[in-house]
Amino acid sequence: MMSSDLIFDATVSFEYKCLRVFEFQRSNNPVYERFCDALEIHRPQSISEIPLLPIQAFKDAEVLTNFENSKYKIQNLEYFQSSGTSGMQRSRHYLRDPEIYRRSIIEGMQQFYDLDDFVIWAYTPGYNENPNSSLIWMLNTLIGREESGLSRFLELGKPLDENEIRKVTDAGKKLMVFGAAFGLLDLVEMKNVQLPADSMVMETGGMKTYRREMNREELHRRLAKGFGISLSKIHSEYGMTELLSQAYNPGGYWFGTVPWMEVSTRNPKDPMEEVRTGEEGLIGVIDLANLYSCSFILTGDKGVQVGGGKFQVLGRWNPRNLRGCNFLIDQD
Amino acid sequence: MIKITQTLKNWLEPNNQALQEAIEKTVSEGLFSKQDIQHQLSVLRGNVENGEIQKWANRAGLTDQKNAKGKKVLCLHAGNLPLVGFQTALGVILSGADYYGKLSRKDPYLLGSFLREIEQIGIEQEIQYTTDLHDFQNLNADHIVFAGSEASVPQVEQEVKKLGAAKEKAEYLIRTAKFSIAYLEDWNEEVKNDLVESMLRYGGKGCRSVAVVVATFTLDEVKEELSSAIQKFWKDNPQQQKPAPELKYQFAYNEGIQRNQLWLEDFLIQETDELPETDFTVNCVKGDEAKVRELKAQFGTKVQSVYTTETEISGLETEELAKAQSPPLWWKPDGVDVVEDISSTIS
Repeated sequence: MMSSDLIFDATVSFEYKCLRVFEFQRSNNPVYERFCDALEIHRPQSISEIPLLPIQAFKDAEVLTNFENSKYKIQNLEYFQSSGTSGMQRSRHYLRDPEIYRRSIIEGMQQFYDLDDFVIWAYTPGYNENPNSSLIWMLNTLIGREESGLSRFLELGKPLDENEIRKVTDAGKKLMVFGAAFGLLDLVEMKNVQLPADSMVMETGGMKTYRREMNREELHRRLAKGFGISLSKIHSEYGMTELLSQAYNPGGYWFGTVPWMEVSTRNPKDPMEEVRTGEEGLIGVIDLANLYSCSFILTGDKGVQVGGGKFQVLGRWNPRNLRGCNFLIDQD
Repeated sequence: MIKITQTLKNWLEPNNQALQEAIEKTVSEGLFSKQDIQHQLSVLRGNVENGEIQKWANRAGLTDQKNAKGKKVLCLHAGNLPLVGFQTALGVILSGADYYGKLSRKDPYLLGSFLREIEQIGIEQEIQYTTDLHDFQNLNADHIVFAGSEASVPQVEQEVKKLGAAKEKAEYLIRTAKFSIAYLEDWNEEVKNDLVESMLRYGGKGCRSVAVVVATFTLDEVKEELSSAIQKFWKDNPQQQKPAPELKYQFAYNEGIQRNQLWLEDFLIQETDELPETDFTVNCVKGDEAKVRELKAQFGTKVQSVYTTETEISGLETEELAKAQSPPLWWKPDGVDVVEDISSTIS
């Protein structure tokens, strides 16, 4: 048995925790066990020897770490499901212990922000129709813990109300507006507003699923202009259904992780190998909050890292050299 | 035409010293296996013996009025399999255009040895070739032919533009097909052997190679037989290149999610209808003609050909599975006949 407290215990080294979680998951998660067995990885001595499970597994299988005779049965568990159109294969992430996710959200954000200072507003078109959205769960958690009563989900299709903004200021609080990238853009396109200078906008990604093509820099520039705040107040969150922790970029484009999460960039031709700092690769994530699913994940995102573990997300990874005839200027 | 045909015949002669040297160099540098080269040459010999050069010219409608004489065509040849650029080079020369070939550094000798012999017969057209694109600085070509992926096209176009290798308004013929689909209704010795050849020849690296199989039966039903046939094929045709560790990773992933698969260490056949992205992998799925149509539509221009054994699939152009790795000289990469394309454009 593993205590979930270990994950958040700052006095224990990350590596030690990883090796313990690996052992726990390898022994109690059939998908991960079979994966490791096929790779002939049994007792890693360091983090670098731990294999990362391709994230697609959350679509193709039930990724659950559970004891054989556990009272928790998969059919009774709450789960998160990624958004998607009908017929599309969607990821499913079973939530065996919601308290871990709650702690990860709150304690994770507190690593970057003084949460008690903020009123949370969430504008989430597209997510509201998904009753199993992990983002909505997260926002409910943040809104629920804030005590002023001013935190809430914003009504869709309505611009921000200056009177409501004033109430936040009058309560001595700062405003944090959460939303998927293009939802926020819709909001400013309805009406440009002037948020107080100490407000913050938290963009949660979702750029690939929307109707407009735009890079993150352009998006942030437009949001800053539309909300009347400085570019440094437009922040991003990197999260997904398959992860119970988030990374944040508190201004700029480099994400930092919470202490129980670590990101690496992997060689797509050999995912056991990390690419050099500054080189593009597949983003690999170790998220110890995924204690009851799988903590060792190879995403399908392209990324690049600088020193200190900070990373940038460069979109989806597209195989550069799909099989077949291909004139490659640097090779042919 | 007669001169070109005769030169090709001579070049293909098994006792042609220049060709033998090109083969030896290619093999000794580990570029391709002797078996794959011999297979390619044997297909070409068959093509020539069948009179396919003349037939190709007829099919493309080449005449004194319709041709590409006086036009400069720059060909950027890929090097994923031996002589992969041969058909394009021959087509351009047949069309009467001036041929400028950027040979692949992965396959510089074989096509080079043919072009050298063509150069020597004193045809009117310009024949130039090199492995360095910079040699074509300020060429101002009218036409560019190359195979590329969505990701590689802008980079190539930019480089060509930077060098002034093509005119501002040059026509680009870009081939984007990456693999082929086989549809199997029957399973017998002949189908099995044709399938193995279509999947494994050249390590499965050509766009005519089968990377997706739709069959009316499951992988499990034929797994053992298929495995034996593959081992037999490899005994005669050892796989030249070894896969990257990603292949074993994919195998392990399949084990994890309990996807049915046939793992052969250097090659993987897996039961899925996803896009085949990894080298040395074939995806197979149980399905009918409707499934073939669905996948063809889904994978779009990445699909070169759809092969069947005897069946026709309504709404789809199909080819014989047995011809996957031994196509006629005029087969159309991406559905475009290079001779017709450059001739009709220029005349």
